[in-house]
Amino acid sequence: MAERPAGEPAAPGAPAETLVRVEEVVKHFPARLGATVRAVDGVSFHIARGECLGLVGESGCGKSTLGRVTAQLLSPTSGKVYFKDVDLTRLRGERLRRQRRDFQMIFQDPYASLDPRMTVGDIVAEPLDNFGLVRGRVRNERVQELLRIVGLNPNFNNRYPHEFSGGQRQRIGIARALSVQPSLVVCDEPISALDVSIQGQIINLLQDLQRQFNLTYLFIAHDLAVVRHISDRVMVMYLGKVVEVAASRAIYSDPRHPYTAALLSAIPVPDPKTERMRRLVRLEGEIPSPIDPPSGCRFHTRCPIAQVPGVCSQVEPPLQELAPGHWSACHFADRVVEVAPWARAPDGARRPAPA
Amino acid sequence: MSQPVLEVSNLHTQFFTDDGVVQAVNGVSFELHEGESLGIVGESGCGKSMTALSIMGLVPEPGRVTAGEIRFRGHDLLRMRAEDVRDLRGRDIAMIFQDPLSSLNPVLKNGFQIEEAMLAHRHAARRETRERAVGLLRKVRVPAAEARARDYPHQLSGGMRQRTMIAMGLANDPAILIADEPTTALDVTVQAQILELLRDLNRDLHTAIVMITHNLGVVAGLCSRVIVMYAGQIVEQGPVDEIFEHPQHPYTWALLRSVPRVDAMRHERLRSIEGLPPDLIRPPAGCRFHPRCPFRVDRCFNDEPPLDRVGDGHVAACWVTMDRAYGEMGAAELLDVRPGAASGVRLPAERAGG
Repeated sequence: MAERPAGEPAAPGAPAETLVRVEEVVKHFPARLGATVRAVDGVSFHIARGECLGLVGESGCGKSTLGRVTAQLLSPTSGKVYFKDVDLTRLRGERLRRQRRDFQMIFQDPYASLDPRMTVGDIVAEPLDNFGLVRGRVRNERVQELLRIVGLNPNFNNRYPHEFSGGQRQRIGIARALSVQPSLVVCDEPISALDVSIQGQIINLLQDLQRQFNLTYLFIAHDLAVVRHISDRVMVMYLGKVVEVAASRAIYSDPRHPYTAALLSAIPVPDPKTERMRRLVRLEGEIPSPIDPPSGCRFHTRCPIAQVPGVCSQVEPPLQELAPGHWSACHFADRVVEVAPWARAPDGARRPAPA
Repeated sequence: MSQPVLEVSNLHTQFFTDDGVVQAVNGVSFELHEGESLGIVGESGCGKSMTALSIMGLVPEPGRVTAGEIRFRGHDLLRMRAEDVRDLRGRDIAMIFQDPLSSLNPVLKNGFQIEEAMLAHRHAARRETRERAVGLLRKVRVPAAEARARDYPHQLSGGMRQRTMIAMGLANDPAILIADEPTTALDVTVQAQILELLRDLNRDLHTAIVMITHNLGVVAGLCSRVIVMYAGQIVEQGPVDEIFEHPQHPYTWALLRSVPRVDAMRHERLRSIEGLPPDLIRPPAGCRFHPRCPFRVDRCFNDEPPLDRVGDGHVAACWVTMDRAYGEMGAAELLDVRPGAASGVRLPAERAGG
């Protein structure tokens, strides 16, 4: 066993068994003129069995790439992905294919991720067929059971995707992912293409299924409110790096990275009173290019508390454990409270949420 | 209260498709006052965007406005001469859209597109319009405005493009700015800055804003009044504080409880809205929300509820309303949100008869 990598907090109250361990994963893509897009640039984390780890960040932060590397849909440029102590990055061919049964993925676009020429029954059964798990009558029974589990009429198995709404298609995608009884499900923005009233249905369904089948989720989304709601722990990414990891509760009440504080302060809350008290953490400029990320701390060009020129533009801050299970990569993690007034009053006493 | 700058009454917009007539907007009436910020919320297909496009005269084929009045400062746009309407739209009423890249001309410089918006409505020297375009870019807080005016749209980030669109919208000092999901395609930190900009423009320029969005949080932060639409109709309307604190229509109530709040201290199960929005070619009889409503009573199946007063400046179209749902149907404890889940609760006899 390798030693515990940075950014692997012992989740409070979580079962000790680690299902997935990602170590120093780097994923670079070639860009024009020999340049390199550093989509994921040295990320380590773990997910305990039965846990939901949320992964949040804005467009281009590398969260989807990291999800795909974790699910082995992309192989990393360097680094390791362990699944129950098996190094997936060393598996090839048939052994990797066999192992894939354990991790499935749910995609954002319920329109693009289902083959329009296949019946719903065949879509849901495709992973079963791929792994040659069941045939004939048992296969059909299994498909109908899966449709029932995700809240669809089991007799719809002969219909085609176009006959279903976005929310129903997402249910079909979920049934497909669950068909081979995976341990890990990587959900990549599973609700962002759906209408508000349907989002709630799908979130509730994912939570019910997690409980029912003891699933482990890596839940990727840009919406920190949704991520906090469903996750046990939340991991925040910025420009290919993890900047903060904490229990879902602490990430709001005690953010230790100024980028997390900025994200939290920017999310509209459906409550006019809270909105009137909003104090936006204003970020300077635009997100820099992942082809040529800033020196030192990658966030220093936009950070409201950065020391520039100084340590922030010169030294890359390591991800450090500041409290049990609470990791942050900031030279001035203790000053984040200055820009997150909802977190703690000046005397250090906790203040309730501005609600 | 100030004079309404816009009065929409009994607006009907329909789409004539091969499958039948889609009743996209069905009898919508509301007023917008000078300098006000009004939110219109609802989900895809509820008619919120079609209401805005009807006002702008931009309803796409095969749709058209089939009935109603749209009065701008007393003049009915639907009965004005075409050239008068054209002159008014874009000058007095401007609109910005979700995707600025498809609204901006890719081969024209940003500054020139703003100038074009001015020149479409009045004659002015290029020298004057050029200065004004740069001034507008500064007003919408585009950094290095002069240089950005000489750039093309693709050279800008999403947030800067939306700012450029807003500058175009403001080119003729409109009385009304209609914003249709202007921040939906943007990252949350950029969204917050655009919303802050709209809030400041509304206050400083006294431009009335109609914010069309599916995001209740956006409305809570920007608007003073809100209209909730469902299936082509207004189901509830009132001051934001009233609507968010005491929603009276079960749809509004459920919508507010179906999204997690980032500041939530406890994560309760979301009260999702079961089922799907109705087919607008054959909408359900009675209340259009009744097939999905946990609180429906017999009357909701056949009898369409009118928009009735439920509070100060607050109207809702519901036979039950949430005050009664709380009192008689146990809405506070209701976890089972399936349609009709709470309708088994017996209403007092005198009311149940309707």
